[in-house]
Amino acid sequence: MKDIVERIKVKFPVAAVTFQRKDLTFITVEKKHGVEAVTYLRDVEGFTHLVILTAVDWLEEGEFQLTYLLNNPQAKQDMGVRVRIDRENAEMQTAHHLWPALVTYEQELNEMFGISFPGSPRQGVPFILDESWQGPPPYRRDFDTKQYSEDTYFPRPGRTKIDPAEHMKKKLYPEAE
Amino acid sequence: MSLKDVLMPFTAWGNLFKEPVTVKDSRNVEAAPRYRGFHVNDVDTCIGCGTCEEICQNAAIDLVEVAGRDAKEGDSGLRPMIDYGRCCWCALCVDVCTTRSLGMSNEYKWVSSDPEDFRFVPGVDEKSWNDNNKGYFKMDGYDLYSTERVEMGELHPEERDKSFVEMIQGFSKEQAQKEADRCVACGICTATCPAHMGIPQYIEAIRNDDLEEGLRILYETNPLPEICGRICTHKCETVCSLNHKGDPLSIRWLKRYIADQIPESKYKEILETENITKNGKKVAIVGAGPAGLSAAHYLALMGYEVKIFEVQEAPGGMTRYGIPEYRLPYEMIDKDVDYIKSLGVEFQFGTRVGVDVPLETLEKEFDAVFAGTGLHLGRSTRVPGSDHKRVYQAIDLLRDVSYGKEIDLAEKVVVVGGGNVAMDITRTIARLQNKKFGKVNVTATCLEAEGSMPADDEEVIEAREENATIDPGWGPQEIIVENGEIKGLKVAKCLRIFDDEGRFNPSMDMENQKVFEADMIVESIGQAMDISYTDNIKEKLTFGPRGRIQVSPDFQSNIPWLFIGGDIIQGPDVIHGIANGHKAAKGIDKFLKSK
Repeated sequence: MKDIVERIKVKFPVAAVTFQRKDLTFITVEKKHGVEAVTYLRDVEGFTHLVILTAVDWLEEGEFQLTYLLNNPQAKQDMGVRVRIDRENAEMQTAHHLWPALVTYEQELNEMFGISFPGSPRQGVPFILDESWQGPPPYRRDFDTKQYSEDTYFPRPGRTKIDPAEHMKKKLYPEAE
Repeated sequence: MSLKDVLMPFTAWGNLFKEPVTVKDSRNVEAAPRYRGFHVNDVDTCIGCGTCEEICQNAAIDLVEVAGRDAKEGDSGLRPMIDYGRCCWCALCVDVCTTRSLGMSNEYKWVSSDPEDFRFVPGVDEKSWNDNNKGYFKMDGYDLYSTERVEMGELHPEERDKSFVEMIQGFSKEQAQKEADRCVACGICTATCPAHMGIPQYIEAIRNDDLEEGLRILYETNPLPEICGRICTHKCETVCSLNHKGDPLSIRWLKRYIADQIPESKYKEILETENITKNGKKVAIVGAGPAGLSAAHYLALMGYEVKIFEVQEAPGGMTRYGIPEYRLPYEMIDKDVDYIKSLGVEFQFGTRVGVDVPLETLEKEFDAVFAGTGLHLGRSTRVPGSDHKRVYQAIDLLRDVSYGKEIDLAEKVVVVGGGNVAMDITRTIARLQNKKFGKVNVTATCLEAEGSMPADDEEVIEAREENATIDPGWGPQEIIVENGEIKGLKVAKCLRIFDDEGRFNPSMDMENQKVFEADMIVESIGQAMDISYTDNIKEKLTFGPRGRIQVSPDFQSNIPWLFIGGDIIQGPDVIHGIANGHKAAKGIDKFLKSK
């Protein structure tokens, strides 16, 4: 797979390369070369199958990392193309013209991470969250699941909670102030 | 596409006019072995720490009281109740469970028309899957927090066994924060700590790197954090919820970390004790040990004028004169005491109440008296030969070492006793022998067998690292004296220590005897109190078991102006003394305000 990477490097800059396994390599490219890279891999290098498009929230670094995982069925090789995008203004060019399935992936990332893919057909259309969803995109790491639960769902009547340390104080040493 | 494929969907129309059939469980297929089904809980192992409740992202878990289970040390008695209207089966509760009692069966089918049924206490409420032991349990080697303590730096045995330099080096900031990160903040420890310290709170302050807040929390319940941070018996650590499947948190070292980082000169500002309004009342304290110092501190904060009378030349009581310097350096005692002094507490050293000043004088000159005089008399084995001049009491020798007096040390020494004081004198003698003779020859023996010695395990381990011999499980029979010189200690194998009624009544195997060679014997089988200063008022006091003076929960004796606490009432240990002193201070305040 080294030769594939060498050929890509001639076309556009590659920020990082990880030879994860004999048949699995990850490359990181700039955002502006992302769609270009997957197009090249599909049309020239035989990575015709899209396995997945997914995202990782690098909260502390203020970035999302998109990964396009591609498969070459003939060579039985996988290539992951990683693209870092700004978290504040999370936007990426759509690549749905390359694989129709990307419409669904881009729809999912739009809903769950709040990443927009302008021009992709189902942006803003509910995916797995229903219309009543009020919160921010729930896969963002700063989404406070517990807070959302408490704010959104009513507590079941009759529920009581007891703090273990306070309970022990009451039962074992009530004299302490 | 074949014709069959086209027509197939229409075959379903054949069922259009048939009676509908509802089958509750048509297939009865068991889920995969590690499927996350309904919760199970081993309620005897569970300690009700509430960590499952804390981590639940859906607020689906409540800790509730269950019938027949009471709060006790190390167990809140509460058990988790799960609301299946909220549970999303993420299993974080299982992953975080400190005792591994909580799990999930692989049962996933449950039909009930009553929604309230879906809120239940696993392991308590009768459920068909309670005995199902498949399903999701925490995997080995997969932990949300480290099960191992951050290692504490210690001097190597060869570096320490000739000197009295402090052995334990203390945590760095990185180490302390890493250790503090392991705390699940359940607070189970607080009930067990005799002073009920805000342990999870001060550990949180370490995590937040807000040590000033940490210091304020320490001083709410404990005015001797440098001392306790080194030599506390740390009962809190034995009940720590992490102790159930890993190392307990190093609570004691974390406390020390807070106090070590802040210079005493900043205490008043941080603790906001720069201006204390005096209330014009005076309290005398007998003994400058932990109980007396604690009482003095809290009384001074309440505005009392406090004066401590101490027989020795310096404050600290047993922490200075009983505990060797390698465990507790004197300047650390001074740091804690200097702050108490800065609150205006007066000290009069070298004064024995009852001899130099009668207790009656204190009664006249002060509004109340607190006595925390401790256990400073050694107990003898009273075996034949124990009256020889080369038979010593550990407590006397430790005091001499603290004063810097030279001990008439022998080359071969036997220590009788297996408690922490016995280990203190054994390790002190090992150091002194190493200095004087270049080799160690000291043996400690006690009635208790290996593994059940009253001393802390680390004390026994470290004593052995320092080349002392610890040979437990023997009862002293006789000190062999020839031509006026001690030759050794004859012992017999101890079969058991307590009789059927649980009374101290050791029995020996007289067929199995041996002699530990020695030129000098040190007895360390416990201490007794000297309360002769109460002789004139003795008839007004009530005495309970083991000659202990009876006091109220406020540590008030039958004589209203006299409060008593510390080792002579409860313990013996520093933290009980501190707790007693604190309660007595509140008791004195209550008493004087109602007068």
